[in-house]
Amino acid sequence: AVLCISGGLPKPTNITFLSINMRNILQWSPPEGLQGAEVTYTVQYFIYGQKKWLNKSECRNINRTCCDLSVETSDYEHQYYAKVRAIWETNCSKWAETGRFYPFLETQIGPPGIALTTDEKSISIVLMAPEKWKRNPEDSSLSMQQIYSNLKYNVSVYNTKSNRTWSQCVTNHTLVLGWLEPDTLYCVHVVSFVPGPPRLAQPSEKHCVRTLKDQTSALKV
Amino acid sequence: GQEFQFGPCRVEGVALQELWEAFRAMKDIVQAKDNITSVRLLRKEVLQNVSDTESCYLLRALLKFYLNTVFKNYLDKAADSRIRKSFSTLANNFFVIASKLQPSQEKEMFSISESARRRFLLFQRAFKQLDIQAAQTKAFGEVDILLTWMERFYQ
Repeated sequence: AVLCISGGLPKPTNITFLSINMRNILQWSPPEGLQGAEVTYTVQYFIYGQKKWLNKSECRNINRTCCDLSVETSDYEHQYYAKVRAIWETNCSKWAETGRFYPFLETQIGPPGIALTTDEKSISIVLMAPEKWKRNPEDSSLSMQQIYSNLKYNVSVYNTKSNRTWSQCVTNHTLVLGWLEPDTLYCVHVVSFVPGPPRLAQPSEKHCVRTLKDQTSALKV
Repeated sequence: GQEFQFGPCRVEGVALQELWEAFRAMKDIVQAKDNITSVRLLRKEVLQNVSDTESCYLLRALLKFYLNTVFKNYLDKAADSRIRKSFSTLANNFFVIASKLQPSQEKEMFSISESARRRFLLFQRAFKQLDIQAAQTKAFGEVDILLTWMERFYQ
């Protein structure tokens, strides 16, 4: 451990977890008045109900103001604390600590994958549930649907010709939008959500597709 | 509308979203007062792999304990006005749910009710090892764990 005068520096500020699909990143701001100084940081974490603070070796004396604790907080039914302190020359701050972090309740659910196919008057939407973060790409995937059986999607559809938007909430992964106008550009975006405590949402990108021209009117010409 | 289905015990008329919002409003205040972070009352052994039938017995024991021991007198000692509204929302809803849980007392259900009792005793023993006010604060701060478990029975 680094020998330093504790409390010689102000604490880091704004320490929080940013969590999306169980990827849990601890982030903070530099201590007041030390922006730009050669400050380094050290992070520790704690599992609620257990005995000791634990080191995160990859986040000892680091320059950046974030630390990926996804592996250490991967059991989403546990609750956690994390703390960080600043070190500069021979001075170090007291620890700045998060509140109790509960991944199961606090992770943001990322947007689903979206595939659109269209014909003259309808658009078929296929949604693919977002995946839980995984350490290695080769690891087996776990869908967020398997963690949250009540996962739902809010599908918003925008008709670029009429400027009209409507939304509907679906639980299954396929949806057909009917009674549409031919040869019209429609844009869709989808938000995943889980009933329960309010949590931040990650909207999908906008996916646009044009319905086909009306074949019957084409034949009359 | 939505209802809880704890095995044979059905509970209607409770908006779980209200309970979540009530807890969220006071989560940071209450959990910050819990300094004994090395103790978790609602440990995994208490709530994990509970069968539907057993859930009615277990929840009834837990809610009665919350009403009679955790919530009782809590407001007098921790008179933080920001908590008061959340507190009454949770207490009132816990009372409604507990009063509607009527698990079967028949002999053949003894092994299930006994399993639920053992789980509850794990929680109660951990609670009693702490100073009463610290234990009340901790149990109050763990309502999110309890609600998360209850949510699995909400349809």
